[in-house]
Amino acid sequence: MTMWVVVLITGVATFAMRFLFIGLFGKIDVPPTLERALRYIAPAVLAALTLPAIVMPAGAFDLWNAFVPAAVVGALAAWKTGNIGAAIGTGLPALWLLQWLT
Amino acid sequence: MDNATVEANWTDGVRAISPILLGITPFGLIFGVAAANADLPLLAAWASSFIILAGASQIAIIDVLDGGGAPVVAILTAIVINARMLMYSADMGRYTAAEPLGTRLFAAYLLTDQAYLVSTQRFPEPESARGFVPFYLGAGVTLWTTWQLSTTTGILLGAAIPTSWSLEFAIPLTFMALLVLAIKDRSGLLAAVVGGTVAVLATALPYHLGLLVGAACGIAAGMVSERWFR
Repeated sequence: MTMWVVVLITGVATFAMRFLFIGLFGKIDVPPTLERALRYIAPAVLAALTLPAIVMPAGAFDLWNAFVPAAVVGALAAWKTGNIGAAIGTGLPALWLLQWLT
Repeated sequence: MDNATVEANWTDGVRAISPILLGITPFGLIFGVAAANADLPLLAAWASSFIILAGASQIAIIDVLDGGGAPVVAILTAIVINARMLMYSADMGRYTAAEPLGTRLFAAYLLTDQAYLVSTQRFPEPESARGFVPFYLGAGVTLWTTWQLSTTTGILLGAAIPTSWSLEFAIPLTFMALLVLAIKDRSGLLAAVVGGTVAVLATALPYHLGLLVGAACGIAAGMVSERWFR
């Protein structure tokens, strides 16, 4: 039930953001301060989602767990190829290798 | 425009987005597998693919709710992630101003990073963008279809994948890849470093709030740093 409410509210809000300026015929521009803030949303939120999951996978800070080097491999692959699939295709095997070795 | 031209533009849009589908498909599969392995209602997760239609926010909802985060935090996180749609919407409005309401509603529903980017790259000037709308709709519908097929397949496969594959790692890995692609300059890099560090330091906050606190600090750091890096 909770999940449905979350999905529906997010869906309505996301559609509203998609339609807002299209609905206004493109006559109104995004306020400059909001436009500047929007530029940093993606890096800030994605890092806030990623870093805790990688450096504290079991809930406690642990820089020496296998997720860290595997994530570095995936990040390098994404940076070199510009492709999300490449990050998954290299990062996951790197993790399996590390887990097999240790 | 006659029907043949509309059809040619539509086909061009489908063709333009095709190479990107190779990156979307594993992303959709990962979302599906993550949803299937989370302790959450599967039908709602599946429906989010056409109700929300934005991968990173869909995965974030699974991640926050399955980790015991508050529903409000899940909603706010997803909305913040999707706020970039405002930027695309503002630009798209210049291309669709002459279209009927129905077309504009449909175009808004199909608005994604990929459909927006391939269409505005092909038609950089709204003033001379004849054929933009069928091109964009061709790209958007193709992306929509790929997203539904890949997420559904992921959900169906999900339960069959053994936990020893550590597929839970695919979520941070996917976000990490999106992060690398989202960093465009030094201010963006600083936003990421501050956002990530604060989120780690603030994990003790209840309801997964550390995520939003980290994101807010990162955005502020990026904006403030613009004057240093210029």
